[in-house]
Amino acid sequence: MDWFAIGRELSPKARGIVTLCSFLLPLAVWSAFSYLPFLWHPLMEVTESGDSRYFRPGMTVEREAFYQENARLSSKGSAIVKGIPANPVYLPAPHEVGKAFYTAFVTEPRLPGDPWLHESLWHSIQVIFWGFLLSSIIGVPLGILCGAYSPIARLFEPFIDFVRYMPAPAFGALAVAIVGIYDGPKIAIIFIGTFFQQVLVVSNTTRGLDRALVEAAQTLGAGKFQLLTRVVLPGILPDLYRDLRILLGWAWTYLIVAELVGAKTGITAFIHQQSKYKVYENVYAAIIMIGIIGLFVDIVLGALGSRLFPWEKDSKPGILTSIAKALGFGKEASTA
Amino acid sequence: MSGEDQLVDYREQTPEVKRYFENLHSREVVLKVGNLGKIFGEGVGATEALQDISFNVHHREFVSIVGPSGCGKSTLIRILAGLETSTSGSAMLDGEAIRGPGSGRGMVFQSYTLFPWLTVSGNVTFGPEMTGKSSEEVEAEAEKWLKMVGLADFKNHYPHQLSGGMKQRVGIARALANRPRILLMDEPFGALDAQTRALMQAYLLQIWRHVDVTILFITHDLDEAIYLSDRILVLEANPGRIEEFVEIPLERPRKPDQFLDPRFLAVRHRLDVLIHGEFPEEADELSFIGGVDRFAEVDAD
Repeated sequence: MDWFAIGRELSPKARGIVTLCSFLLPLAVWSAFSYLPFLWHPLMEVTESGDSRYFRPGMTVEREAFYQENARLSSKGSAIVKGIPANPVYLPAPHEVGKAFYTAFVTEPRLPGDPWLHESLWHSIQVIFWGFLLSSIIGVPLGILCGAYSPIARLFEPFIDFVRYMPAPAFGALAVAIVGIYDGPKIAIIFIGTFFQQVLVVSNTTRGLDRALVEAAQTLGAGKFQLLTRVVLPGILPDLYRDLRILLGWAWTYLIVAELVGAKTGITAFIHQQSKYKVYENVYAAIIMIGIIGLFVDIVLGALGSRLFPWEKDSKPGILTSIAKALGFGKEASTA
Repeated sequence: MSGEDQLVDYREQTPEVKRYFENLHSREVVLKVGNLGKIFGEGVGATEALQDISFNVHHREFVSIVGPSGCGKSTLIRILAGLETSTSGSAMLDGEAIRGPGSGRGMVFQSYTLFPWLTVSGNVTFGPEMTGKSSEEVEAEAEKWLKMVGLADFKNHYPHQLSGGMKQRVGIARALANRPRILLMDEPFGALDAQTRALMQAYLLQIWRHVDVTILFITHDLDEAIYLSDRILVLEANPGRIEEFVEIPLERPRKPDQFLDPRFLAVRHRLDVLIHGEFPEEADELSFIGGVDRFAEVDAD
């Protein structure tokens, strides 16, 4: 079978294997740099200080400094420093980050009153939820109206297109001044970051509805309002749902900026604090957690979508299903 | 191949056919089109799609519209459906001017246009629901129509699960469920393969016999037009004008063996002449093989 035929989909099994590789490959590169001492490792971690007056066990030092010190010591006939190649503190090994996934949750915050990791995460999720919900409540109907009716599009879209180019974080200071402290400005930034894109994306999706369906409904006697509620709305629903899934992903990118506004909160505060303490495995764990939450939500929404819209044919199989199939857990693989 | 002398006169009608047409023309006029014109655009770029179209369609008549591509037959049927407005003249259904789409004129599209989010039954009940009928009434109606098109067992299927022919049968049932006075069909079988198309033609004739409806049918398949219709409206292109209104001298009910009837062939020949012009003489037909010089000469014709 030709794997590189343009536009040809792979077999379910091959698809799963490649999808799995898409995660395994970066992990393999990371592991190689972490566990193979001859790859990179620009530093030396001191294990025995010998007769050195400066180097202490546990210290990581530049290779050059390490060898200079040893040359100096050996020329004097003193015991040399022993050490092993090490990576900088900002590149923890996979197993350390893996461990951090657990320890980060059970480690008490250094300062009393600081939130635990799960509290930080929950806070972030709430900010996203409210920002996205408020945006959707206004943005989706407005987008549909813009897509359906030309005068409304002409009235709103040029201005929205203009505001869209203003970066949402630029409104940070304003948001604090207007909505006050606490979560208000953070939700406002998610809202600003999402809303303007949302209106334009939804209106485009609405415009993409097959006009012939509207015409067919007209010849069947549908009135203006019925066209909107009985044809346009159900007609765009699966695409609208897909749009919202993508936009929700964007909302996560605005979260990090939003949480920097005013007092740092949520997962961003955790990341900043941990990097200040130089516990980089926790930083990685937190960033990956955001990815996992995003992917998880998307997979759940995707599965929900194929239940909600049974008339949608061949929706693309999700990442997990692909991998499961390749590993032999899927229905297709077991019957094959 | 000019076998004109071997062909019977397509205008000659047996007493039975003559009686059929007399009877037909004595019925009320359902659709009355008068001096209808349509110009797209304005000023220099304006193109005249339809010019001075006038014809009547009688109750329960089956009329087809044929013509070369670009003759405006689709524009005409879209104007009658109310999806497009004419720039001059009038079109009246039962004496009432057509203004915008309405449930009195059902339309069947070449691209099926079934609502993908509704089941087969949901598609059929869509029209009656729009006109504000109660749901029980509507359900029972839908069942009846689906039985008529042979899809009662598929009522809970979604359109994407059906074949092209089945989709179009749903399309027909959906349009008929509104009890329209006239059914406008815009190349309804154009996207189907030859075999399915023949089946659908038979289906349509059967439905038409059992349902009180007038049909206006667009096609580019001349055999299809002859086989189905009482009369065929032949349009010419640039601008779209009526060239001739041909009465089909074949008895009803129609049967597939009529495709070989000499009167069928005579009508077919007449339509070919109207639409494609006289067949070129044999020498002429071969002439453009002779290279560029000859080509220019043909072009000059």
